[in-house]
Amino acid sequence: MNSNSGKNESGASSEYQENLNILRQIDFFSGLPLEATKVFAYLCSRESCKPGDVIFEQGDEDDRALFIISGQARLSQQTDNAETTIRHYREGDFIGRMTLLGQIRRLFSLTATSEVVCLVITREKFTKALEKFPDLVPKFIDVLVHNIYRWEKRFLKTRTGDCKDCMKIAGVSLV
Amino acid sequence: MGTKKTPVVQKSLFSWVLASNLKIQGFLVFIILITVFARVVPLEMQKRVVNEAINLRRVDLLLIYCGIYLVAVITQGLFKLIINYMQARIGQRALAEMRKELYHHILTLPLGFFRKTQPGLVVASLITELTTSGSFVGMAIAVPVTNILTLLAFAGYLFWLNPLLALISLSIYPLVLFLVPMLQRRANEQNKRRVDATRVLSGRIAESASGIHEIQGNGAFALENNKFDHLVDKLMNIRVVWTLYSEGIKLLNNFFTNLSPLLVFSLGGYLAMTGRLELGALVAFLSAQEKLYQPWKDLIEFYQVYQDASVSYGRTMEYFNLEPEHELAPSDRKPYDLEGSLEVSNLSFTVEGGIRLLNDISLSLKPGEQLGLVGFSGSGKSTLAQCIGQLYKYTGGQIQLGGKEVADLTKKDIINNVGFVSQSPFIFSGTIEENLLYGCMASSEGNGAKGDGTIPSLDDIIAVLQQTGIFIDVLRFGLNTILAQDRDQKLVETILRVRTNFQRRFGQELAEYVEFFDENRYLFFSSVIENLTFGTSNRQAYETEFIADNPEFVLLLERFQLSLPLLSLGIRLAEQTIDILGDLPPEEFFFEQSPILPDELDTYRQVVARTKKENLNRIGPKDRTRLLQLALRFTPGIHKMVALPEVLESLILNGRAMFREKILAEDPEAFTFYENSGYIFSQTILNNIFFGKMKSTNPRAQEKINQSIVHLLIEEDFLETIVEIGLQYQVGSKGDKLSGGQRQKLAIARMLLKAPRVMIMDEATSALDNKSQTRIQNLLETHWKGKSTLIAVAHRLDTIKNFDRIAVLKAGKIGEIGPYDELIARKGLLYELEFGKK
Repeated sequence: MNSNSGKNESGASSEYQENLNILRQIDFFSGLPLEATKVFAYLCSRESCKPGDVIFEQGDEDDRALFIISGQARLSQQTDNAETTIRHYREGDFIGRMTLLGQIRRLFSLTATSEVVCLVITREKFTKALEKFPDLVPKFIDVLVHNIYRWEKRFLKTRTGDCKDCMKIAGVSLV
Repeated sequence: MGTKKTPVVQKSLFSWVLASNLKIQGFLVFIILITVFARVVPLEMQKRVVNEAINLRRVDLLLIYCGIYLVAVITQGLFKLIINYMQARIGQRALAEMRKELYHHILTLPLGFFRKTQPGLVVASLITELTTSGSFVGMAIAVPVTNILTLLAFAGYLFWLNPLLALISLSIYPLVLFLVPMLQRRANEQNKRRVDATRVLSGRIAESASGIHEIQGNGAFALENNKFDHLVDKLMNIRVVWTLYSEGIKLLNNFFTNLSPLLVFSLGGYLAMTGRLELGALVAFLSAQEKLYQPWKDLIEFYQVYQDASVSYGRTMEYFNLEPEHELAPSDRKPYDLEGSLEVSNLSFTVEGGIRLLNDISLSLKPGEQLGLVGFSGSGKSTLAQCIGQLYKYTGGQIQLGGKEVADLTKKDIINNVGFVSQSPFIFSGTIEENLLYGCMASSEGNGAKGDGTIPSLDDIIAVLQQTGIFIDVLRFGLNTILAQDRDQKLVETILRVRTNFQRRFGQELAEYVEFFDENRYLFFSSVIENLTFGTSNRQAYETEFIADNPEFVLLLERFQLSLPLLSLGIRLAEQTIDILGDLPPEEFFFEQSPILPDELDTYRQVVARTKKENLNRIGPKDRTRLLQLALRFTPGIHKMVALPEVLESLILNGRAMFREKILAEDPEAFTFYENSGYIFSQTILNNIFFGKMKSTNPRAQEKINQSIVHLLIEEDFLETIVEIGLQYQVGSKGDKLSGGQRQKLAIARMLLKAPRVMIMDEATSALDNKSQTRIQNLLETHWKGKSTLIAVAHRLDTIKNFDRIAVLKAGKIGEIGPYDELIARKGLLYELEFGKK
């Protein structure tokens, strides 16, 4: 993995301005006042990976959220002796809202399956910036809650009949 | 307590006068006697000039008397200088002694004292409050002796001239002597209040400074300002009243002493008219009487200094008048070499208000056993650890270390046998090495056996660094060091050899993480100025900080057609940065990716405001320089708010070639250009090995690079040297240049280096990441088990699973104690801590 060179091909807009445009597409940041979004965009960095690079690993105390600018990555879960692919992430996906708000260990691994460029913000940077905009905390929580709620709603709707066991642990939105 | 000298806090102010160098004081008195004599002589000469020389019209006598007068005046002045010098010496020496002794005393005071005492108060006491006492000691003999003698001499002279007049003019002084102390008592009251108010104020300042993150984080400016302003006003009022009283005393004194010439005039005038007094005698009398005034004023002032000093001194010493809870070192034996066994029986610890923090705790450990202390917060686990480490004096029961009662041990015994690491260990400003050796130095010092082999070797240090996992941090500090120009040649040569090997071995592999210095390419991780000069300046005027101010250089930029493009780059950088960061507090953190430094934010805000509507050509010269400075700092790989225009990129590359040509032609010594075969003194060791700069700060990239570098350094047998350089890294005040994890690792390394019989760790690994935590846990379980007894307070249970015993505390009592598996199987308190309520 490697952060991008500072070179800008078009010569027109800076990496920061591109970051700003990207953040305004992500639900987590889109509702914020511009002055806060600017600071977040400024604090973001770029990382690029080659196919096969591990972006984060199960068990890591990784503290980053990432937005995939280009490329694809595979999410997997390792049990004692088997690895299960959960799903694929691609351009435009944003991962890690929870990691920004609290210290948790990764329960999954993410591996690049093609050249991947992503936008990254670390919890440290996010938290430090958030301290300067304390009014925004409820907004972030609200977005997170709705994300979890939508996730479970979708889960309940799309679950197939044969997954009786899944239902036993349903109710993540009730935590 | 031993039979030692009186503690400093119980010494009287006068004892310092006696303790000062009495020989000097004696010499002082001798000089004073001469001075007093020299003061009376001019008066007599004055009289003789009038009465003898003028009356008898004898020019020779006039010359002689004037000559004697002159000599007397010169002697007086000269001696006054000597007196002042010696006074200052005595005073300053006494002050220094007072400060040292009080400081030494304060360091031994019980921890509880510091919990309720603000550091600012200690600072104020040591720095400000003692100064008057110092001046007092300086004055204590010289001033009263000089002035009383002078007074007596003049008074005697007056009586000799005319007893009646003398009696009348001196009659005023007893009245003053009666009134002054009355006023002084009130001044003293105010002075006491002043000392207290100053103390509160300094405490508040220190508190705000150390809690500044909370204040800025919560935006509590108004709140803090109010508190502070209120205290300042209070102090101001007290000082006004105090000054009023002090000045009042002087005023009163002036008033009465000014009255006495009036008496002399009226009575002396009458006597002269009636011919009972010579005119010369009256003149002399008046002069002599005027001379009474100065010594008298000095005496009153001395009296005031004495009063102020005794108030501040008394108030200060009284505050610190506590005894240390434990003796520092045994007076009649060598410090114990204790066995690592621990026996706690019926221990209790009660604090003010009858709150029992620990209640009836009993447990025992054999040497080398490991005990984990767990429990919910507030259960007393840290308190127990601190009691065992003698940081708190327990109030009931016993703690025995190696069969000796902890309460009866001296600090020295504890220091030699116990290592303590707290959750937020204190790191002192200085180098990493100094901090590592702190424990060893402290325990070997004063033993009488300094340097008795207790100072660990570099190998020991490196072993401990590796064990605690701080090795890689120290290595990185070493690699990030910029060597001084005069560093020895061999080191430089080795680094150059490592560079060659690095390029051969890893050049390809790490190419994506490192941007190599390449004369023909623009370097995105180097600044514009580095890109332009592509070298290190050997002339101050060409150094990065000054170059924007260097007219020659500015002219060059003009010639390279870089002036305007750089100026507009500067403007865009300033505008964008101010737009993003303008409203944030100037904290270092937010400015890591900014070309503007935190303390320049205001300046550039103003520059932006001024230049906003201006045409480029009409920007003032000062703003031009500032904007140019910003543009020259611009490093596209770090400062992402602006993109480097491609035109500028090629212009700078052209400029690079032209600049080099010009320098080589005109002043080849001025720059050392980057060359693969030469060391670059303006860059870090790492950049020198790379012959380039690292592109990514990503931890994975870092790790990969670390691995390669360590590999290479080992092969070159160069690792130790770099670590040695890294050990000299300055950690900043309170270690603020280290991360929380690094501070904890350093503190643990510090303890392990001392290899104490008993180790106490109070949540000592809480700031470490999993890997480091596991590493230290393994180290303790494999390397130290059986060697040192370990008592570890743990927040996370997985770190103590393999300990011999775990004690679960609840509300100051031991709820259960035993090995992990046993307790979990019992499904009691530990089970609840681990898995939540059943």
